[in-house]
Amino acid sequence: MTKYSKNSAAAAGLANCLGCGLVSPVEKKQCPRCHAPLNLRKPYSLQLSLALLITAFIIYIPANLVPIMITEKLAKVEYVTILGGIIELWQDGSEPIAVVVFVASVLVPIIKFIILFLLYFSVRFAPGMSITKRMMLFKLTHLIGRWSMVDIFVMAVLVALIQMNHFLSVLPGGGAIAFAAVIILTIFAANSFDPRILWDNLPQSDVDENK
Amino acid sequence: MSGLQHIACDLCDLLIAAPTIEVGQCALCPRCKHKISRLRPNAFVSLFAYAVTGLVLLVLANSFGLMQFKLAGNVAQITLWQSASELYFDAYKILSVLVFLFTIFFPALVLLMIIMFLITIKTGIGKFYMTSLLRLIFTLIPWSMAEVFIVGIIVSLVKLVTIAQMHLGWSFWAYTAFAFCYLKVLSLVDRYQFWHWIEGWQHD
Ligand SMILES: [Zn+2]
Ligand SMILES: [Zn+2]
Repeated sequence: MTKYSKNSAAAAGLANCLGCGLVSPVEKKQCPRCHAPLNLRKPYSLQLSLALLITAFIIYIPANLVPIMITEKLAKVEYVTILGGIIELWQDGSEPIAVVVFVASVLVPIIKFIILFLLYFSVRFAPGMSITKRMMLFKLTHLIGRWSMVDIFVMAVLVALIQMNHFLSVLPGGGAIAFAAVIILTIFAANSFDPRILWDNLPQSDVDENK
Repeated sequence: MSGLQHIACDLCDLLIAAPTIEVGQCALCPRCKHKISRLRPNAFVSLFAYAVTGLVLLVLANSFGLMQFKLAGNVAQITLWQSASELYFDAYKILSVLVFLFTIFFPALVLLMIIMFLITIKTGIGKFYMTSLLRLIFTLIPWSMAEVFIVGIIVSLVKLVTIAQMHLGWSFWAYTAFAFCYLKVLSLVDRYQFWHWIEGWQHD
């Protein structure tokens, strides 16, 4: 049985409508103001979020191995993976931009995987980390997720700009589709996770510690 | 936040008495410090002004070149629209559609819907779609990536600058100004404030 945290709306049988912010008794099933379905917690939030993240994690492998771009410079064909593109930027002397792309395309997805798996784990098992820290991590996943899209946008601009040129040609690679799928799935995974379950079943001492 | 007796924090579900906050103040959750609501001065007028300006700038961004590329006498130029549409071939149609949605369509739609919402609040025209409109606005916000696209343009510029002469067009600056307005609008969007406006008008 879920033990809703002390002084929470759910403990009083009240549901906070995530659509409009009105608090109403959960028996009403539908928000009287905006007609969104009422639930104490997002239904199956943990299971849904975990399923989306595992799918993203599996697709993450081809996203990194399959080229996201195929470039042709003076009849020399190159298959560019995400990591390959970053190394090339670095070697061209654009270190700061290489770092930006590395953070956005490599670090951000990995950090997101680690944080979300850690949060799921902490709901079921002893957290070993204060609730304040876990909430910070949760907010971080929401802030950073979208930035991984940078590589897809770069690819789109390059393909558009260089089409029909005799010296150069750039074609998208299958890795780009996989990579876009990973980003979209992880954004969905973060959005479907209900942070309020992190507060449930928590010993009161841990909740007070936060004050 | 008049009219409400209690509110609950979205992130930790703490039930608190609805605070009365002054313009310019911010209501923080006492338990998890989440910003629950913030009342900005002149929110209504600022929202309207930034949303309209943003849309005008986006139209301008579509009327000039985004980026120019010169290599051995060969000149290529793309527009904002082409940066998404040129990808529309073969198996990559889906990516082209995603780029278009994330960089142009969703941000534009959010601004347009906010203008529609504000007009409904002022005039009462379109009451029947108000709730769906608000729901759609909040659903689309995580999928609008104007600021990410700007970084994408800069990275692609840097990638090519070693082999070709690169030039940023007016469209880039218009788009950057548009992204600024869009982010300004987002900072003014407040669910409690929006519903407060709706309820104020229902009591009239
Ligand atoms: Zn509601
Ligand atoms: Zn809270």
